[in-house]
Amino acid sequence: MVDLVWFQLLSAVLFVIGLYGVMARRSAVLIVMSIELMLNAVNINLIAAASHMEGTGKFTDFDGQLIAIFIITVAAAEVGLALAIILRMFRNKSTVNVNEINLMKW
Amino acid sequence: MEWAWLIPVFSFFAAPLIVLFGKYLPSKGAFLAIVAIVLGFAGFWVVLSSWLAADTSSSGCFISENTHLLTCNYERTWFNAGVLGEVGSVTLHWGILVDPLTIAVLGLVTFVALMVQIYSLAYMKGDPRFGWYFAIHSLFAASMLTLILADNFLLLYVAWELVGICSYLLIGFWHERPSAREAAKKAFIVTRIGDVGLLIGILLIWREVGTFSMVDAFEAVRTGVMSEGVTTVAAILLFLGAMGKSAQIPFHVWLPDAMEGPTPVSALIHAATMVIAGVYLVARAFPIFEAYDADALMVVAIVGLVTALVAATIALVATDLKRILAYSTISHLGLMMLSLGAFGVTAAVFHMMAHGFSKALLFLGAGSVLHSTEFQETGEMGGLRKVMPITAIVFSIGALSLGGIPILAGFWSKDEILVAVNDNLNVSFIILTLFTAMLSALYMGRAMFLVFFGPLKEQNEHAHESPLGMTLPMMLLGVLALGFGLISFNWPGSYGGLGTFVYFQHSHEFHFEIWIGVVSILLALGAFIAAHMIYVKRSISLETTRSRFAGILRVVENKYYFDEVYQWIIDRVVLVFSKSIAFFDRAIVNDILVNGPADVTRKFGIALRVHVTGHVYTYTLAMAIGSAGLALFVWLRMV
Repeated sequence: MVDLVWFQLLSAVLFVIGLYGVMARRSAVLIVMSIELMLNAVNINLIAAASHMEGTGKFTDFDGQLIAIFIITVAAAEVGLALAIILRMFRNKSTVNVNEINLMKW
Repeated sequence: MEWAWLIPVFSFFAAPLIVLFGKYLPSKGAFLAIVAIVLGFAGFWVVLSSWLAADTSSSGCFISENTHLLTCNYERTWFNAGVLGEVGSVTLHWGILVDPLTIAVLGLVTFVALMVQIYSLAYMKGDPRFGWYFAIHSLFAASMLTLILADNFLLLYVAWELVGICSYLLIGFWHERPSAREAAKKAFIVTRIGDVGLLIGILLIWREVGTFSMVDAFEAVRTGVMSEGVTTVAAILLFLGAMGKSAQIPFHVWLPDAMEGPTPVSALIHAATMVIAGVYLVARAFPIFEAYDADALMVVAIVGLVTALVAATIALVATDLKRILAYSTISHLGLMMLSLGAFGVTAAVFHMMAHGFSKALLFLGAGSVLHSTEFQETGEMGGLRKVMPITAIVFSIGALSLGGIPILAGFWSKDEILVAVNDNLNVSFIILTLFTAMLSALYMGRAMFLVFFGPLKEQNEHAHESPLGMTLPMMLLGVLALGFGLISFNWPGSYGGLGTFVYFQHSHEFHFEIWIGVVSILLALGAFIAAHMIYVKRSISLETTRSRFAGILRVVENKYYFDEVYQWIIDRVVLVFSKSIAFFDRAIVNDILVNGPADVTRKFGIALRVHVTGHVYTYTLAMAIGSAGLALFVWLRMV
C-alpha cells in the first residue's frame, strides 16, 4: 500500500495550485475552477486518511468518505451559485475580470 | 360687571374676521372693527353703571384694604402648570379687576379708539392694505382693553406684549418706506428693553407671593409678606417696563420715530392709549410703589420730571408737526409720572384722560392738515385757518387745552398735578413743573400759530377742509377737550368730583390752590402771548433770541444727542461685544466642538480604509496568510 504521506503531498500540491489560481487569475470563471481544485485537494486528503486509518478505532469507518461526499455536494451548489453570479456580473459590466469589479471598495 | 371680559373679546374676534373674510365684505370689513369697538364702548357704560350700583354685597366685590376703593375681582382658572399640590406647581388665572381706575381708562380707550377708527375710514381710504389696517387696529384695541381689565400680572404682561406688537405693525404699516421699517424696529426693541425689567419684576413678585394675582400681591405688600427690599426692587423693575412703554427718559427715543406710522395710529396708540399703559401700570400697582416710605415713587417722580422737562424743550425747537406733538406727548407722560410720584393718582388719571382727548384731537388735526397739504414740516404751512376752519378750531382747542388755558380740560388736570406736586414734593419740583407747564404752553402756541395763523402760502391754496368722516370725530373730541374738566368739580348732589371716584386711600374733594392757579394761568397766558408775538406778529425777533441761546439751542435741536449716544453705544459696545460672541460661536462652538469630532472621525476613517482595496486577490492573500498563521499556531501548540 502506498504510504499516506504521498497522498498528502499530492493533496498539498493540488491545494497550493488552486490557491495560486485563486490569487493570480483574473477571470472569475478560472477562479471558480481553482476553488474547485482546492476543494478536491481536500477531498483526496480526507479519503486517503480515512482509508489508512480504517480499523484503528479512532474514527468511524466512513467518516472521511462521508465528509468528502458532503464537500462534493456543497461544491456543486457553490458552482451553480458562483456561475449565476458571474453571469449577472457579465451582463452588468460586460467583463468577468475581477480586477475591474471593485464596487465593494470604500 | 362679571361680563366685562366681553369688552375686549368683540375686538379680538373682529381682527381675524377682517383678515380672513374682509375682501368679501363691504368696506373690506372695516365696519366689523367699528361695530366691535362700539360694543366695547357700550360695555364701558354698562360696567360704569353697574359699578355705581354695586356695593360690598355684590358678588366678587369688596372694599380693597390697599386702595380703599370698591373693587370687583372675577377670577377664572386658566390652566395648571405642574402637578397640583406639589412644590413648584402654579395655577394660572385669567380674570378681570374692575375698580374706578379700570373704568376711567376703559372709557378713555374705548372712546378714543372709536373716534380714531371712524376718522381712519376717511383718512385711510384707498390704501391697498385698508382691511389689514383695521384688523390690527381691532387687535390693538382688544389687547389694550385686556391690559386694562387684567387682574393678574401675567395676563397684563401678555396684553402688554400684544399692544407692543400691534404698535410695531402699525408704525411699520407703510413698510415700503425704509424709515418706517427702522422706526418700527426701534420702537419694538427699545420697549422690549424695558419689558425685560417688567417680566423680572413680575416673576420676583410671583416668587415672593406665589401667585400672579394683583390683589394678592398688594395684600402681601400690606401685610409685610414682601419685605421692604424686595418690594422696592419689584417696584423699580415694574417701573422699567412702564418707562419703556410710556417713553420715559432714557427710553423715550422710540416715540418720535414712531410718527412714521399713519397719523390716526399716532393719535390712538402713540398719544392716547398705548403709551399711557406705563402710567396705568404704575397707578395700578400703586400699593407696591407706595409701600415702605415710597422710595420707588421718588424714582418715578424724578424720572417723570426730567422727562417732562427735556421733552418739552425739544418740542420747542422741533420743526416737524408730528414730532412736536410726539415730544409734547413724552413731556405730558412725564408729567403724569411726576404726578404719580407725588401720590397724585387722581391727578395722573385725570391728566391721562384730559391729555388723551386733547392729544388725540391734536394728532387727528395734524392728520387732517397732512392729508390736505401733504406737508409735515411746520415751515411749509401757515395761515391754514383760512382753508380749513374746522380743523383750525379744533386743533386750537386741543392746543389751548394742553397749554393749560382755563376752562379747558388740560387746565384742570394740570392744576391737579401742580397741587399734588406742591403738597407732597419739595419746592424745586413745583418750580420745575411750573416751568414745564409754561414750556408746554409755549410749544403748543408755536405749533398752533405756525400752522394755522400768519399768511397762507401759495402752495397751500388748493388745501381744503377734510370730509365729515374726519371732522366729526375731531369735533366730538374737541367737545371733550373743551369740557372734560367739568368732571373734576364737586357738583351739587351726590357727585363729589373726580377725587371721590378715583383715588388712592384718601378720597378728596376738588380744591383749588389760589396761588398755583394764578401763577399757572399767568404762565400759560404769557407763553401763548409770547408765541403769538414771535410767530405771528413777529414783534419779538426769532433770530436774535436764537442767537442769544445758540449754545443751548444746538444741544436741544440735536435732541440732547440721545440718538447719537445710543448709536455710539450700539456701534462701539453692543456690536463689538456681539461680534466677539459670534466669533466664539463660530470658532469654538462650531469649528472645534461640533466640527472637531466629525473631522477626527473622518480622518481616522481615511487612514483605515486603505486595506479595503476591492481586489479579490488581496482578500484571498489575507485569508491564506491568516489560515497559514492559524495552522502554524495550532501546530506549535501541539508540538
